[in-house]
Amino acid sequence: MSDIVIRVDDLSVSYGNVPAISNLAFNVRRGEIVCVVGPSGCGKSTMLNVLSGLLPPTHGSVSVNDQVLYRSGQPLPRLGYVFQTHRLLPWRTVRQNLELVLAAAGIPKAEWDGRIRSLLDVLQISRFIDSWPMRLSGGQRLRASIARALVIEPSYILMDEPFSTLDEVTARTMRHELSSIVARTRSTVIFVTHSIREAVFLADRLIILTRSPARVFEEKVVDIERPRLYEDSRIGQIEAEVVERVLDAWGLDDRKRAEAA
Amino acid sequence: MTKLLGALIAFALILVLWFVLSAHLHPWVPSPVATVEAAWKVLGTPELYRDLVATAERLVTAFVASTLIGTVIGIAVGLDKRVEAFFQPLLALMLAVPDPVYIIFAILGLGTGEVTGIVALSLVVTPFVANIVRSSVQARDTTLDEMAKVYRISRWRTFTSTLLPQLVPALITAGRFSFALSWKVVILVEALAQPTGIGARVYHDFSMFRMAPAFAVAIMFCVVMQIVERLVLQQLEQRALRWRS
Repeated sequence: MSDIVIRVDDLSVSYGNVPAISNLAFNVRRGEIVCVVGPSGCGKSTMLNVLSGLLPPTHGSVSVNDQVLYRSGQPLPRLGYVFQTHRLLPWRTVRQNLELVLAAAGIPKAEWDGRIRSLLDVLQISRFIDSWPMRLSGGQRLRASIARALVIEPSYILMDEPFSTLDEVTARTMRHELSSIVARTRSTVIFVTHSIREAVFLADRLIILTRSPARVFEEKVVDIERPRLYEDSRIGQIEAEVVERVLDAWGLDDRKRAEAA
Repeated sequence: MTKLLGALIAFALILVLWFVLSAHLHPWVPSPVATVEAAWKVLGTPELYRDLVATAERLVTAFVASTLIGTVIGIAVGLDKRVEAFFQPLLALMLAVPDPVYIIFAILGLGTGEVTGIVALSLVVTPFVANIVRSSVQARDTTLDEMAKVYRISRWRTFTSTLLPQLVPALITAGRFSFALSWKVVILVEALAQPTGIGARVYHDFSMFRMAPAFAVAIMFCVVMQIVERLVLQQLEQRALRWRS
C-alpha cells in the first residue's frame, strides 16, 4: 500500500451549469494533517461532500487507499467526520452514539467497550460516558464528536470547521488536544477552516484554494516542530505571509480595489 | 399553587353554572346532586362495566389501528415526494369531511356490526395522525441523515436510530390527539349504531328521558378518559423524552 491515503485527481463538480470545483488536485499522505483554507463560498463544502462519498464528481476522481470512490459495487472506505456542529444523536448517550458507528463499521462487539473507554479517557470525558449530549457543554460535545470519528479507526478523518462555534479559550485548548491526539493515533486528517492561523497551527501542509470554482491556489508545508504553541511568532509570520498572498487572489485587496476605482 | 387555585375556581364556576342551568332547564339538565345520586346507583350495576369494556375494546382497536396506519402514511408522505403527491389531496379531502359523514357512510356500507364503529373511527382519526407525522418528518434535522450516511449507517438503522426518535414528540402529540378524538367519536358511533357501549347507554337513557343517569355515565366516562390520558400517555411522553430534561 502506498503512503498516499487520499488522491484527488482533476476533480470538477458542477451544479447544473454552475461549476463549484474546477480541476482540483492534491494528495494526502498517511498520518498527515492537511488544512484546507479558502474564501467563503469557494466550494469547500462541496469538496468535503465528494471526499465523504456523498456527492459523485462531475469529472475527475477521488481515490482512498488506491480504491476509486463512486465505482459501482465498491464499498466506501471507513471515514470519520467531525462536523461544524456536533451532530450527536441527543436521544442516545455518549456511549450509545459511539456504539452506533462501531456497529455500522462492523467492529466486533467485544472491542467496543475497550475502544470507547480508552478514547474517552484520552479526550477527558470518560465521566460523561452515560450522559445525554444535551447535558454536556459545547466543548464536551465536540470531544464526544471527535471520539466518534476516531473510535472506528477510519482510513481518514474530515473536519469541517469544528471549532468555529466554540469560544476562543476552549477552541485553543481543543486545537492543542486535537494536535496531540492525531499525532498519537497517526490519523490522516483533512481539516477545513476559515482561520488561517488555526490552519497554520494544526497543519503539516496547507492547501489554499482559489475563489469559486475552487482550484488549488497554493500548497505550503508548515515546517514547525511539534508540539506547537498557538502564540509562536513563526505561526504568526506564516499566517501574515499567507494572508498577504491570498488577498489579491480572493479579491479582498482594498488597495487594488481602491486603485481600480 | 396558582395552577391548583385556578383549577378550583374553574371547577367552582362550572358547578355554579350547572346549578343555575339545572334550576332553569329542569328536567332536561339534572342537578349536580341528582347526578351524583344517579352515578352512585349506576356504579353498582354490572351493565356499566360491561358497556365500559365494550367501549374500551372499540376505542383501543380503532386508536391503535388509526395511529399505526396514520404513522406509516405520514412517514411515507414525509419522506417521498411521489407518495406525497398521491396522498396529499386524499388527506386534505379526508380532513375536510365532517366526522358524522364517515359514521353514516360506514353504517350504510357495513351495517351496524362491530366493524362499523372501528372503520368509521379509523377513517376520522387516520388523516389527522398522518398529517401531524408528515409535518414532523419534513421538519426533521436532515444534518443527522447526512451524519448517518457519512458513517455508513444502514438505512434501517438510520430509520430506527435517527428518524423515529425525532418523530417521538409528534407521535405523542398525534397519539394524544388521536386518543381524545377517538373516545369522542366512539361514543357518537355507539349512540348511532351500536347496541352496547357507553355511547349506546347514554343515548338509551336520553331517549327514555332519564337525564340524571345519562349525565352521570357521560361525566364518569370523561373522567376515566382523562385519568387514562394523564396516567398512560403523559407518563409515556415523560419517559420517551427524558433525554431532553
